[in-house]
Amino acid sequence: MQDLTNLDELRTMLLSAPESRTTAVLAIGLSLVLLGTVLFMVRRRALREELTPIWIAVALGITIISLRMDLLRWITRQIGAWTPSSTLFFMGEVFLVCICLDYAVRLSRSSLQIRILAQETAVLRARLDRLEGEAPAAGLAAPTE
Amino acid sequence: MSDVRGMMLLPALNEERQIAAVLRGLAQWANGFEPVVIDDGSVDDTGKVARQAGATVLRHPFNLGYGAALQTGYKYALGRGMDLVVQLDADGQHDPADVARLIEPIVEGAADVVIGSRFVERSSYRMGLTRSLGRKLFGGLGKLVGLDVTDPTSGFQALNRVALELYARDFFPADYPDIDVLLMAHRRGLRVVEVPVQMREAPRKSRLHGGLRSFYYVYKIALSLWAGSGARPRRD
Repeated sequence: MQDLTNLDELRTMLLSAPESRTTAVLAIGLSLVLLGTVLFMVRRRALREELTPIWIAVALGITIISLRMDLLRWITRQIGAWTPSSTLFFMGEVFLVCICLDYAVRLSRSSLQIRILAQETAVLRARLDRLEGEAPAAGLAAPTE
Repeated sequence: MSDVRGMMLLPALNEERQIAAVLRGLAQWANGFEPVVIDDGSVDDTGKVARQAGATVLRHPFNLGYGAALQTGYKYALGRGMDLVVQLDADGQHDPADVARLIEPIVEGAADVVIGSRFVERSSYRMGLTRSLGRKLFGGLGKLVGLDVTDPTSGFQALNRVALELYARDFFPADYPDIDVLLMAHRRGLRVVEVPVQMREAPRKSRLHGGLRSFYYVYKIALSLWAGSGARPRRD
């Protein structure tokens, strides 16, 4: 019982530990870099606009959490974690899994579209060859004995 | 028979050494059917040799897979208004003398999909352990839902236009069309029958089915069967 009490105290202590201002500044800096990179890549046409909302949301999320560490502590308490940093790792992992799944779905869709396009190309090419008279007349010559 | 419009589909990947002989072998059994070689992004002269041998060539700009190559042929056949197609491998494994036997149930209106089976009758053909086990396992699963096929992995098949229209849809797998596709056809009300055929040993190991892909094949078919079981059966 004594051990459990100590663990609760330890957890309370970890959750109430003051946050370093440096950490908050670094996090805000990171979010600004992420935001800037996303906008730069869109401007360079390296990233399509419809794929940006998720990254803008991540940058904003990091900024909000950096400015409101009490929010992160509240989330930490709610999910039963011990430290705000482990909550951040957890959220990061969930985010990465979700984004991988999203890209796998997009990749599957793109693969199907590429396959259909390649098949269309093959069929159209054959039709074009026929129209241009390059293809042989349909049918094989019987082998001569 | 003469009023039936048909095609012979041969998906091929780097078969420049075999394809001309296979096409010559087909000639006397072709029934006036148009030979169509689907060159699945070969890096050799498969397409050129096939064209010189008298076949129509559909060339993929890059390798898409055995199933995708077949499906390209199906789409082409549909576009050309064919009544049926016969598909066979381009490596000379399938005996063209069996073509007439294969198309007979379709011409008679008794089947939509005809599979040339190596195992309806006793055959000397031997397949690898993994594929053999997969064949038995999936064949058993097929029986559970009323589809009794002994050789679901056979690439020697004949399809009528109803089957072509189904197989031209997006669900058709790009890699290995197999018992999953047959089950889909069965669930849609298509009649699947088997006829005995002879199959030679491939001159060299098939590049479309060989190696570690056999293991992936078993995994993929199992997943595909599960996914397909969620689809509602309907008769189009």
